[in-house]
Amino acid sequence: MSSIVIQGDTSGSITVEAPSVAGTHTLTLPKATGNIATDATVGLGTKNLIINGDMRIAQRGTSATGLGNNDTGYHTVDRWQIWENGSPTYEFTQTQDTDVPTGQGFANSLKMACTTADATLSADDAFAFRYKIEGQMLQHLKYGTSNAEQITMSFWVKSNKTGTYIVNPWASSEISKAYTIDSADTWEKKTITFDANTIDTISNNNSTGLTIYMYMLVGTDRTSGTLNTTWSALTTANRAVGQVNLADSTSNYINITGVQLEIGENATPFENRMYSQELAMCQRYYQTISKMAGYSGPTTSGIQCSVAYPIPMRATPTMSQSSVFRFDDAAAGFTQSSTGLILGSTNNTGTLINITNITVNGTFRPHGKANTATLNLDAEL
Amino acid sequence: MIYKLSQFRDEVTSIHVLDDDRNFIKSIPFDEANTSYQEYLEWVAEGNEPEPADE
Repeated sequence: MSSIVIQGDTSGSITVEAPSVAGTHTLTLPKATGNIATDATVGLGTKNLIINGDMRIAQRGTSATGLGNNDTGYHTVDRWQIWENGSPTYEFTQTQDTDVPTGQGFANSLKMACTTADATLSADDAFAFRYKIEGQMLQHLKYGTSNAEQITMSFWVKSNKTGTYIVNPWASSEISKAYTIDSADTWEKKTITFDANTIDTISNNNSTGLTIYMYMLVGTDRTSGTLNTTWSALTTANRAVGQVNLADSTSNYINITGVQLEIGENATPFENRMYSQELAMCQRYYQTISKMAGYSGPTTSGIQCSVAYPIPMRATPTMSQSSVFRFDDAAAGFTQSSTGLILGSTNNTGTLINITNITVNGTFRPHGKANTATLNLDAEL
Repeated sequence: MIYKLSQFRDEVTSIHVLDDDRNFIKSIPFDEANTSYQEYLEWVAEGNEPEPADE
């Protein structure tokens, strides 16, 4: 077996070894400058800790308008929350967009477009994409130990507003790193590596273990210090130093897609998962059901329905409905006079509910045909 | 926003959230991992009380 040993300029070396079999084999290196990821640095299996990083699942809808004051929450694409602080006067529209970087294999991005500007932010204003990861999904990062891993976040971004933006992961302590949008209206790929977190132990459960803020604007409360580029205790003034104000003009927008968070110091190509796999991963946190069957007894009001969720959820979900339900049988249709339901026995795998504000008696009522309403199950972080 | 306890088969099983016109918004289970229930508990900790369930 032949090998070449390349001696480093300190004590290290690397050995390139040919196989001990006959034949000629060619290993072609990429025409690029960078680091090569190996199985020593990249976990096999599911490497991307971000669900729906390519923004293709949008169970709640594809557009939400007037987002600003008191609108923290999930509005369009799954798993991607907006977070705001203060009492802002700016407003944004959020859409699942089809503007994507050319030739990268993405079909969607998440877009925020400013519709009401605020060029003079209040000190406590803040607005960000926020992504939360369950603690039990993060145990292999070995946080809180001397063996803790670095993590690398990569993503594509496009905006008319060039300048500095801040990404801020937060466990119990936090760290912030800046990236720059260099060219207006141009898709750019960004890569940010965060130090190993030897401080915070993340609980092995279904609660939030790591929260990532991708800021779009902040007031001086979060910019008056020095950017906190190592894991340390939360200091508000150090969280987003240098962040531009994306709300200073109604011409402003930002698109992101291809978000990947992985172990190690290298960004590897985006992990393309099957659509069905990505949808199922999203449904752990949110799902909609449009077909149910129910029974109305002769002495009960409403229609009782037993619902088994297609995917077990993170927690027992909150339930709402998109509009009034309609139940049909062969003879007639029956529609709620207004929305309403009561939870019976319920957990993270299914529920018994009573659909109220509807009058039918004694007959099995399949839920279908003209019904357009959905039962919405929310077990988000 | 109004919190109102909800009863199913003579047992309080969830919390209804109603808007100011008393229209139904959502139903929250008693699960401490549920974020809506966590918000409800914070609201109660501030000294508030939900409306009782209908008999």
